[in-house]
Amino acid sequence: MAIAPPTRRPSAGLGLGLGSTAPGRRSAAHRLGHDPAAAWRHVDVMLLGAVAALAAVGALMVYSATRGPGGEEPLVTSFLMRQGGFVALGVVVGTVVAGVDYRRFVEVAPLAYGAVMVGLFGVLSPLGSSQNGTQAWFQVGSFQLQPSEFTKLALILGLAAVLAQFRDEVDLRRFGTCLGLAVLPLGLIMLQPDLGTAFVLVAITLGLLFVGGAQPRHLGALLLGGVIAVGVVVNSSMLEEYQRDRLTVFLAQDDSDVIVGGSQGEAYNLEQSKIAIGAGGFFGQGLFEGSQTRLSNVPEQHTDFIFTAVGEELGFVGAGSLLALYAVICWRIWRAAQLARDTFGTLVCVGVLAMFLFQLFQNVGMTMGIMPITGIPLPFVSYGGSSTIVAFAAIGLVVNVHARRFS
Amino acid sequence: MTSDGPRLRLGIVAIVSVSLFAALFARLWYLQVLEAPELAEAAEANQQREIIEPAPRGRILDVNGVVLVDNRTTLEVSLDRRVLTELDEGERDDLLERLTVELASVAEPPTIESLETLLASDRFSPYTPVPVAEDVPEDVAVYLTEHQDDFYGGVRVDQRAVRTYPMGTLAAHVLGYVGAINDEEFAARLDDPLLYQLTDEIGKGGVERAYEQYLRGEPGRRVIEVDRRGNTISTLSYEPPVAGHDVYLTIDATLQAIAETALREELEAAQGRRVGGGNESNVAQAGSTVVTDPTTGAVVAMASFPTFNAATFTDGIDDVEWAALTAEGSFNPLINRAVEGQYAPGSTFKPFTAYGALTVGALAPETIVNDEGTFTLGDCRGRCTFRNAGSTRYGAVDLRRSLAVSSDVYYYDIGARLWNERTTFGESPIQDAAITFGFGATTGIELPELDGRIPTPAIRAQQVEENPEVYGRWQTGDNLNTAIGQGEVAVTPLQLANAYATIANGGQLLEPRVVDRVQRAGTEPAAGPEAVVLDVESVVRAEVALPPNIRQPIVDGLAGSTVDGDLGAGTSASTFSSFPVTFPVAGKTGTAQVTGKADTALFAAFAPVGAPRYAAVAILEESGFGGRAAAPVVARILAPIADPALLPTLEPGGVLSAPLAQAVDSGDVTD
Repeated sequence: MAIAPPTRRPSAGLGLGLGSTAPGRRSAAHRLGHDPAAAWRHVDVMLLGAVAALAAVGALMVYSATRGPGGEEPLVTSFLMRQGGFVALGVVVGTVVAGVDYRRFVEVAPLAYGAVMVGLFGVLSPLGSSQNGTQAWFQVGSFQLQPSEFTKLALILGLAAVLAQFRDEVDLRRFGTCLGLAVLPLGLIMLQPDLGTAFVLVAITLGLLFVGGAQPRHLGALLLGGVIAVGVVVNSSMLEEYQRDRLTVFLAQDDSDVIVGGSQGEAYNLEQSKIAIGAGGFFGQGLFEGSQTRLSNVPEQHTDFIFTAVGEELGFVGAGSLLALYAVICWRIWRAAQLARDTFGTLVCVGVLAMFLFQLFQNVGMTMGIMPITGIPLPFVSYGGSSTIVAFAAIGLVVNVHARRFS
Repeated sequence: MTSDGPRLRLGIVAIVSVSLFAALFARLWYLQVLEAPELAEAAEANQQREIIEPAPRGRILDVNGVVLVDNRTTLEVSLDRRVLTELDEGERDDLLERLTVELASVAEPPTIESLETLLASDRFSPYTPVPVAEDVPEDVAVYLTEHQDDFYGGVRVDQRAVRTYPMGTLAAHVLGYVGAINDEEFAARLDDPLLYQLTDEIGKGGVERAYEQYLRGEPGRRVIEVDRRGNTISTLSYEPPVAGHDVYLTIDATLQAIAETALREELEAAQGRRVGGGNESNVAQAGSTVVTDPTTGAVVAMASFPTFNAATFTDGIDDVEWAALTAEGSFNPLINRAVEGQYAPGSTFKPFTAYGALTVGALAPETIVNDEGTFTLGDCRGRCTFRNAGSTRYGAVDLRRSLAVSSDVYYYDIGARLWNERTTFGESPIQDAAITFGFGATTGIELPELDGRIPTPAIRAQQVEENPEVYGRWQTGDNLNTAIGQGEVAVTPLQLANAYATIANGGQLLEPRVVDRVQRAGTEPAAGPEAVVLDVESVVRAEVALPPNIRQPIVDGLAGSTVDGDLGAGTSASTFSSFPVTFPVAGKTGTAQVTGKADTALFAAFAPVGAPRYAAVAILEESGFGGRAAAPVVARILAPIADPALLPTLEPGGVLSAPLAQAVDSGDVTD
C-alpha cells in the first residue's frame, strides 16, 4: 500500500503484459527482465499453487465419493471426468479474467450485474429447471448453469465499483444504495429458494460495506435488523419445513432422540457426516478406503458434503492440510487486498475473501455440526460446474488486482 | 489506499478470518482426535450387517436307527420389511390385500390385521423377513414367486425345515417337542455360540430339549456390507450352517409301541371294572410304564398316558390347542408320568423294607411271622389295628413267602419292631435302604424328573417344629405305613424300575438314560466310531451291598410272586401263567391307597430271573389292584420278548402289525 510503485504503465491493457514490448526485438530471456512492472511478473505463485493443489485434491475426492462401493460393482469415473473438465474450463475463465486489466471492470460491472439479474429472473421462469425443490438451474444440454453462482461475482464487482466511487464517505443514502444493490438479487435467490447462496451474498455485502467505509452505526443497525428478521422468519411459516428442520437439527444435534429419528432427513445427514469425519481419525482410513464414503452413507457427499470424504479417508492430517491450503489462499487474497493499487482493487479482493471465507466456514462447519445445514459448495473441491468456474474466476480477479499493483 | 481507516478495517477482517479458521481447526481436532474412537465404532456398525442362517435340526432315531423325528421342508411366505418401509401407503395396502387374497387357501390364512400385527412385532430383525404363512401350496408359491412385481418385491417364498414324526405320537414324552423360543429362553442364550435368534425354534421338552446343543446345529453366519438404504453391496464373509447331529435313543421303537399299546389297553380294561366291588367304575385315565436294561441303565421303553402330538407345536401352538392340553380333566398329557409322576409305591416297596431290616440285623430270611390277617399295636391310641388287603390270612410267612403272597402283616411286624428297637437299629433303617436304592432323589436321566419322597422321623421332627398344628411327631404307625410303601412315601415309576434293576444286576445303582449316542448328521446307524460325536456311557452311581444271603431270598420271593409254586399262589401268578419256564419273571404287585381316589395299581419286575435283561414298571392311576391292572401291562410287554414268535413289527405311523396278545385274566387278586 505504502510502497511507491514504479511508474511505467503497460502499453496495452490486454494480456498479461505480453504485448508491452514488440515481439522479436529482443531475445525472450532478455525481455523477461525488461519491464519490472509487467503484470505477469507479479502473479502470486503461492496463491495459484494452493488453488491448484486444492483443485487436484477436490477432483480426487469427488472420484472417491462417486466411484462406487467397489467389490463386485464397476467403478464410476464420469464424475471425475466432468469435474476435470470443469477445472479446465475454470482455468481458462480465470486466465481471461486475470488478463483484462481489472480497472476496466468498473465499466463492465453494471453490465455483469444486469446480465445476472436477467439470469435470476429467467431461472424463476419456466425456462429454469428445479432440483430438490430449488429452482436454480438452466439446463444447457447435459450441463446445468446456475446463475446464482455468477451473481456472487457480479455483486462483488458492482458493490466494489460503487463503494470505490464513494471514497470512504458512506452516508445513509449511499449505504441504502449499496443495500439496494444487494437486496435485489438476494430476494430473487431467496425465491428459488437457495438459502446457502443468499447467505454468501449477505457475507459479501457485509464485508464490502465494512471495508468500504460504511459507518459503524449503520452496520450495527443493519445487523440488529437482520437478526430480528431472521428470528421472525424462522418462527413464521415463510420457511419450507425442510429449511426449518435443518436449522433445528443443528441446534438439537446432541439430543439423541432427534438423531435417532429415522434414516431420512437432516438429523441423519448430520449424524452420518460427523461419523464419517470422526471415523477418519488422525491419519484417515486411506484414499478410497473410507467405509462411509464407499457405501454412500453420507448424502450429497460429492457436492456439499465433500469435506466428509476428505475427513474420513485422509484424516486430521489431510483435512487439516486442506484447511491450511484455504488459509494460504485467504491470506494471499487478504494480502492482495492490502497491496492493491486502488480502492476498487482492495474491495474486489475483500469481496472474494468474504465469499471464500464464508463458504468455507459454512460448508465445513455444517459437516462438523457447528453451522446449520444449507446447500453450499466447498470452492474448488465440491463437484459442480458453475461453482468451480466461479471460484477460478474469483481467483482470476485477485490475481488481476495483485499483479497490477505496480502498473 | 493511504488512510488509516481501511487499514484498520482490513486488520479486523484478518482477525475475523483467523478466528474462523481457529474454530474450524478446533472442531476438526475434536471430531477426529477426541471423538474419533466413538465415531469410528458408529461407522463400523453403519456398514455391516450379520445375517444368521438357521441350520437343519438333527434327527432323533431309536436304538436300531428307526427314525422317530425327521425334518421336512415347507414353503414359507414372508414379508420383507425393508421393502415395505419404502412403499407409500397405497402400495403397502395394495400389497397386503393382494397377499391375503393369494393366501386364502392356506391352512391358517392371514388377515390384513394379523399381517400388521406381525409386521409391528419386534421379534424379527429388520433384515430378517417376517414369516406370514407356512405350508403354502406349491401352486401358490410358484405364483407368488413369478409375480414378484405385483407385490413390489416385498414378498418372499422360502423353503424351511420343520419337524416331522414318521412314527406319529410314538415316544412323544421322551422326544419332547420344539417351539418358538420365548423371551426367557432367549435371554438365557444371548451369548450362546449357537447364535439364537428371536425367530428360532428350540427344544421344549424331552430329548429335544436335553440334547438341544447337539440337535440344533451351527447356524450359518453371513456378514454383508450394506449401503445406507440397506442394499447389499458385497458379502464380507460367509460361514455356511452345519446341520445338527443325529441323536440315537436307547429306546427300542417296537418295544415302545408295545408298551404304549399295553398301557392304553389295560387302562381301558380297568375303566370297565368297578372300584372295590362298588358301583363306580375306575377312572383309569392315566398311567405310565418304563422298561430299562438293568445291565446298562438304558431305557428301552418309556410310555406315559395320556399322550400328545408333537406335530401340533411345529407351526406354533394356538390357544385352543394349548387349552386342550392343559385343561382340568385333560390329565395333563404334557407331563411325562414316568419321571414326573410321584406315587405311593405300596407293596412294590416291600423288598426295600426287607433289605433295610436284613442289613441292620433286625430280620433273618427264615424268620417266621404268623400272619392272622391283622396286626394290632400294643400301647396304642387311635388306629391300632392294621390289616392285610382283604384281611387274608397267610399263616406262617417267611421273607420269601411275604413277597410272593404280599403279606402286609409281615411288614407291619418289621415296621413295629424297628421302631420299638430304634435304639438298636437306628431311627430309619427302612428309609436308609430306600435311599440306597435311589429313592427320594432324581435318578440322573436326561429328562426333567421329580425327586419322589422318603419320609423320616428327622424330617417329621423338623416339620413339627415349623408347623405344630399340622404335623404330629413320628409314631409307630408311621413306621408301619412306611414299611408297606404307604403314608408319605412317593416314588417315580423310573425310580422304582431303577431300584428293581439294582436288585436284578446284583447291586449296581445305575443312572438311567434315554440316549445311546450322538452321530454326525446323516451318517448311517452303523457308521462306526468315526461318526459318533458323543457316546453316552453307563454310569454306576453307587454299589449297593447285596450279598447272596440277602439278595437271594428277595429274588426268590419276587420270582414266587409270578408263579403258583412252593411259596403259594403269587399275586401275579395267573397273569404270568402262560410265560415259558425259560423266561421266569421276578415281580411284585402293589396296590396303593390314595385318599379320595381309587387305588393306584403298580407292578415292578425284572426278567429273566437268572440273567435279568429287563426291568419293568407299570403304574396305573385310579385303576384298582396292581395284580389285576398293572401286572398285565408288564406281562404283555415281556411276552413278545419271552417268545419272539409273538413279536409284532412296527409300521410307519407307529402302528403295530398285529394286536398284542391278551394277558391271561388275573382272576381274583388282592394286591
